[in-house]
Amino acid sequence: MKRLYIPLILFLLLVLEGVALDFLPTTFFHAHLMVVPHWVLLFLICVAMFYERENVHIATFYAVLFGMLIDIVYTDVLGVYMFIYGVAVYIVRSLTKYLHANFYVAILFTILIVGIADTAIYIIYTVIGITDIQWDTYVIYRLSPSIIANIIFMCLLYPLVVKRLKVE
Amino acid sequence: MSFFRKKRLFILLMGFIVLVVLIGFSMQKRGGLTTPEQFINDAVGWTQSVIQAPVKLISSLISNIDDIKNTYDENQLLKEKLAQYKSLIYEVQELKQENEELRKTIDKTKSIRDYNPIQAIVISRSPEQWMDKVTINKGKQDGVKENMAVITADGMVGKIKKASQFTSTVQLLTGFDQFNRISATIPRKDNKNIVGMIEEFDAESNSLLFRIIEESDKDIKKGEMVISSGMGGVFPSGLVIGTVKEVIPDQYGLTQTALVQPAANMYEIDNVIVVDRQLVEKKEKTEKEEDK
Repeated sequence: MKRLYIPLILFLLLVLEGVALDFLPTTFFHAHLMVVPHWVLLFLICVAMFYERENVHIATFYAVLFGMLIDIVYTDVLGVYMFIYGVAVYIVRSLTKYLHANFYVAILFTILIVGIADTAIYIIYTVIGITDIQWDTYVIYRLSPSIIANIIFMCLLYPLVVKRLKVE
Repeated sequence: MSFFRKKRLFILLMGFIVLVVLIGFSMQKRGGLTTPEQFINDAVGWTQSVIQAPVKLISSLISNIDDIKNTYDENQLLKEKLAQYKSLIYEVQELKQENEELRKTIDKTKSIRDYNPIQAIVISRSPEQWMDKVTINKGKQDGVKENMAVITADGMVGKIKKASQFTSTVQLLTGFDQFNRISATIPRKDNKNIVGMIEEFDAESNSLLFRIIEESDKDIKKGEMVISSGMGGVFPSGLVIGTVKEVIPDQYGLTQTALVQPAANMYEIDNVIVVDRQLVEKKEKTEKEEDK
């Protein structure tokens, strides 16, 4: 049963990402602050930490699949989120062997993985010419607000999913 | 162990190749979305339209509380304006009638001003804000096609980027680059319209760059209205784009560029109208090709 819930929740988060920005006050936009909700990635971090077993790659598989869906639905540039989410979740999977799975590690992963993933997106989008903002502007106006917003979301998500995800 | 390392590296490199191929595929100028893409877009779009209603309710509740604070002042202002509009309506009606009659006498019933409106609701906004995209709940089945202009009550907000069967994505004005130009004009009396092109959106000044061609009148005042001219062959004429904020000469001093503040608010779009231009050129060409 649990196997079915994971893609369903991921799909729901994917859909919710599209309306997430409605909740932000417009002053955010006028200040040029960009907040990117990486909710699918955050849930995948939880899956990789608590549900993933040694020999299966469920989290990585879903990361590639839902990365592709995000590419198709929200960005029109195929492959970017798919590749980055896949690699990012694989990093989490490899690191969980060395770290205890608890709340603080989850927050640490959020900072690390959202940072890596979003920077990689910035680099690829700069290379293919979708954005042309400077690195320091990017860090101030997009990277830091995104990381903070995603930490807040992780704090909400973590208590909801951890017990349900843990393998008996 | 070294075998596994190699396998891992192999997969990573394969992934990288796939990434480059996919980016190359999606960056090329393609006619439309492939069938699986349309299917996924419609499936997600359907779920979004289900979820969108309660979400809008909550978010509008929050903004309503904000609105109540300045209701009184707004009400006063609106009452004044309403009185002005009443007289304007009669005038417009008379002019419309006269225009129609005159058109009939010269047997020219179609004009670049005419369009069929398609009402639509915004169901989601791309979380990737560099894309400046929103999704609407009308697609090819409702007559939406690529490159149609999208407007709100205030003015133009963008154009249809990709159309699926039941949903389509809108490229907002804030994401316009040199490939999405609009031929625009500042209307003046005695055939002295100022003409030019909306070239791109400048994020720094938060405004659209309106390059005015050389022959035009040079004296432009702040606050003048820029509207689409319909000469590009894609958008109909008479759509409000924005107001002039500032005029700056280009680096050689030959042409002038006006910074145009978009009339519509790009961050709070709920209901939009897709503009289906009635008069279509026989040779189907987009503005992009025309500019090249």
